[in-house]
Amino acid sequence: MRRLFLIHFLIISCGVYSATVNKTIYINAGQMTCFDGNQMFYNAFNESTVFNNQNTQLSIQVGDSLLLKIINNDSIIHGFDIKWTNGLNQIIPSGDSSEIIFSSQEVGAFIYFDPLNYPNNAYVGLSGIIAVGINTNSYFWNIKDHKLSWNDTIGNGNQVNWLSYYPDYFTINGKSNPNINLDTSARVVGNIGDTILIFMANTGQAEHSIHFHGYHCEIISSSFNANHVGRSKDTFPIKVMESYVLKLIPHQTGEYPVHDHNLLAITGGGLYPFGMFLTILIQ
Amino acid sequence: MKVLFFFFWIFIINITFSQTNIFLIGRTLGEKVIATGDTLRVFGFAPNLGAHPPIPGPLIEANQGDSVHIDFWNVSQLHHHTIHLHGLDVNQANDGVPMLSFSVDHMDHGWYHFKAPHAGTYLYHCHVGSTIHLQAGMYGPIIIRPSDGSNTTWDGGYPFDTETMLFMSEFDTFWHTDSILDHEHDTTAVYDPLEIPPYTPDYFLINGLSDQQLKDSVELLSITNYENYFRLVNIGYCSNKVIFPSALSAEIIDSDGRPLPTIETTDTIEIYPGERYGVLAKSAIPINDSIQIQYFDMMTGELKNTQYVSVEITDANKLSEFGDLTELTLVPNPVDNELSVNFNLLKKIPLSYRITSYDGKLIFAKNLPNFDLGKNSFKINTSSLKSGRYLMSLINHKNIVSKKFIKL
Repeated sequence: MRRLFLIHFLIISCGVYSATVNKTIYINAGQMTCFDGNQMFYNAFNESTVFNNQNTQLSIQVGDSLLLKIINNDSIIHGFDIKWTNGLNQIIPSGDSSEIIFSSQEVGAFIYFDPLNYPNNAYVGLSGIIAVGINTNSYFWNIKDHKLSWNDTIGNGNQVNWLSYYPDYFTINGKSNPNINLDTSARVVGNIGDTILIFMANTGQAEHSIHFHGYHCEIISSSFNANHVGRSKDTFPIKVMESYVLKLIPHQTGEYPVHDHNLLAITGGGLYPFGMFLTILIQ
Repeated sequence: MKVLFFFFWIFIINITFSQTNIFLIGRTLGEKVIATGDTLRVFGFAPNLGAHPPIPGPLIEANQGDSVHIDFWNVSQLHHHTIHLHGLDVNQANDGVPMLSFSVDHMDHGWYHFKAPHAGTYLYHCHVGSTIHLQAGMYGPIIIRPSDGSNTTWDGGYPFDTETMLFMSEFDTFWHTDSILDHEHDTTAVYDPLEIPPYTPDYFLINGLSDQQLKDSVELLSITNYENYFRLVNIGYCSNKVIFPSALSAEIIDSDGRPLPTIETTDTIEIYPGERYGVLAKSAIPINDSIQIQYFDMMTGELKNTQYVSVEITDANKLSEFGDLTELTLVPNPVDNELSVNFNLLKKIPLSYRITSYDGKLIFAKNLPNFDLGKNSFKINTSSLKSGRYLMSLINHKNIVSKKFIKL
């Protein structure tokens, strides 16, 4: 069964300039392998039926339409929603699919996710970023925290007590230090004077505080606090299901870390510094 | 001619931008008295070899445009350290990240250089095994003042009358045991892996103090319609909510060393690890209240603790009625070794005085002998004070009158 939902946040007045981007993503189940070889149950939205723990990064320009088909390739029912939209909330039985159209008239990092059994399904991986307003120097940071033993619990259909949450792995785009630097969609590489956009979303269940060495960035979009747009900062608190678009115009060369300044989150499996830590390289 | 021009240029640079030289020692055998009176082992930055490292570390202060040079010595067996100049956007060589710049071994030293950028509030901390070394105490504040060193927030910014630093962190006392602190270093690895125990903080700190330690040490003593500037810093692993009394009409004016494009008026400010906020607060009425600082678990959102900072705003119009004490002056100001406090008494009253630093720390306090009616004066030996800004307050029970002075 196919359903079509049209989601327009603002009227597209200049439709002649807008394009439609067609994408298909699959809800897959598999195992995420941590940097230390430990594995945990995981779901992800992928571009094929082959499981990959990195959710597909979707991107469009302001005013463009994203025609998105979601196919449930898992053995259980799932859902689909985009944070801050009303009336979407799709239900997709196993083997079924759904289609939505999404557009935005503003630059932003929008979180798409599975709202069923919230927050469990989103937590075990089903949450990614739709970047609106990308340029040629755009990067994507899907920030997540994980408690290894809980993923299997949730994967087996059992409940967990979120009041006792103490995650032990921390990733960006499904990778932790030092592997994050191998992800070309995450690791910023640029030159002095470039206009670099970073689309950042926290799809985990803990709060984080992302600190940049070497540079301040300007907030050009904030999902929770529109009045923070225009602020120039070096540290960006990011709450659960919050997103930012940051603009970085480097003024100096060098390799500089970016990391969570809740320093508990630059660990992995209880080991420092194998968590949320990557570097920026400006040439 | 070229040589002459070169020396002339050096001369111009030296008179235009002054130099600030800082000396810090990294230590790992410090002792810190906590609220129960017990002593914890801490790491930290000490100003000299004979001192335990204070928590937070010594204030680094410079004016915008100054050339700052930090001579960092490491006297801590087993451990190497660095100084990361958090928020100052220094170049890679001075960034203090061991695998990208350099680290300083035991009984060695290194220099960090930077030109003080935007006026504002910053931090420094060790970036070696940082999850352990920060919790152990290796952090401190940096204030970059406007280029003229005045009591304004930045060049062309807001003038203020008082300045209070609220520097938040926590202690997990288990992390301060030898088995955690004396970790191994793998100096051959690109990364220096460390085992990190679960974090369950049991002391929630403001300027390194908590609970009853805060009384008379961290507070705002001011008068009505004074502009009170707060520098809020979070270097812990909890998020904070700082809740000001509504009568203070708090306004956030800057963050992370940059003015906000739009002032935000709010009594409640959330501040996360690594962030800094500048807040202006002024009361038109006398108040006797407190600022609440809440500490939240960032994994669960649970409120873990609340600390209180006393706020006492006295009616400016009643200051002249305060014990009939008038005509308070401090000379010389700026002062070097001896400050003369002059005042006029119209009624015999018991008096005491205290000196507080601008970041709210009590430096010393003393009861004064009885004075006669009329003109009086007494002297305070200021030779032991470090260079900087201070408040001298004369106190009679709940009445207080304060004056600022600068120690050269």
